[in-house]
Amino acid sequence: MAGRTPSQTIGPFFHEGLRWKDAGKVAFAEKGRAIVLAGKVLDGAGEPVGDALVETWQRSATGAIGSSAQGDANPHGFGRVATAADGTFRLETTMPGGRIPCLDVTILARGLLKALRTRVYLCDESLVRTDPALEAIAASPRVATLVARLEGDDKFRWDVRLQGAGETVFFT
Amino acid sequence: MRARSVSATHERVDPEYLHPDYRSTQHRAPREALVALPAGAFDIPGPLVPPGFVRSGDNDLTTHGASAPQGEKIIVAGKVVGEDGRPVRRSLIEIWQANASGRYHHPADNHAAPLDPNFAGIGRTFTDDEGRYRFVTIKPGAYPWQNHPNAWRPQHIHFSLLGNAPVQRLVTQMYFPGDPLLVLDPIYNSVPEAARPRLVSALHMETGIEGIALGFRFDIVLAGAKSTPLEP
Repeated sequence: MAGRTPSQTIGPFFHEGLRWKDAGKVAFAEKGRAIVLAGKVLDGAGEPVGDALVETWQRSATGAIGSSAQGDANPHGFGRVATAADGTFRLETTMPGGRIPCLDVTILARGLLKALRTRVYLCDESLVRTDPALEAIAASPRVATLVARLEGDDKFRWDVRLQGAGETVFFT
Repeated sequence: MRARSVSATHERVDPEYLHPDYRSTQHRAPREALVALPAGAFDIPGPLVPPGFVRSGDNDLTTHGASAPQGEKIIVAGKVVGEDGRPVRRSLIEIWQANASGRYHHPADNHAAPLDPNFAGIGRTFTDDEGRYRFVTIKPGAYPWQNHPNAWRPQHIHFSLLGNAPVQRLVTQMYFPGDPLLVLDPIYNSVPEAARPRLVSALHMETGIEGIALGFRFDIVLAGAKSTPLEP
């Protein structure tokens, strides 16, 4: 067994190095219902986190995952957006398939010595609580932090609180 | 696609989220206990980055300007493996770094050191079928930051690796051997002591080019993925 390499913070200067063209528009091999996921990342003092990187990984509309993109296109199903100075981010994607639609989310930022892993659900909270993956916290009020709110026909709102009141559930 | 099982080690190698000596962690570290990662979550293989995503020359940061950048040209090379020792193949690595004067080509960097018009300090490459990678760059300078009085970051290169599944995603920093700033750096010191040397590259003459560039070797070990694509 080799010893795993430790994590270090992404720091404040990652933007150019990790900038992908159109990475805020998630590409898929198949068409589906176009949606927007927008929100804000906040710290424990309620201040916006203006230098975070939000990455998403999800199934396509038909539930497929990880199909190959062609040429120099972005990988299918993967989104990457940096937050603006006011902590907001906006991702254009496709409604994931499956009974309990969700996106896996990784958050990196200055002040985070390792990535935070979480998940955002795009369905009713009562349905989210039936997800076997959340068995450990199924009865907790904190499940609500993983559920996006529908704002308009195809726009979902999801805020991430790194610390303190309303702290988002993060996974090991 | 076949999958195989790899048992993860439970040795603590990562920093805790809260490391008071690194001031920015104070309002950003979660306070609640983390919830055990649900089986399957983050462990779905991917993303698959198409070969055309990396262009020839993207891994030579010294050729991205009109002429050669200032500074000491170096080769940084190594191998990326999983905890089971198997190579992580055809996986994307992205790097970014300060120039030889310790200044990032980034609007938020207001360090008074000069920018180098011939050095953007960003590169990308894929690991090959053996997990190997190689960058040509210049040695980054140390630079001051605001964390504490007279704080200086040791020379470092930022590494971002996608791995074969989101559970393998790693963002880290590579340091240089013998740097006297390391022992003073709260970010480096946030790592448990026994694991800190894993972040320090090794001078490796065979990796360099005689008369042109010194070589540094930096091998990387990613977390084990429960399911790993064997072939695309």
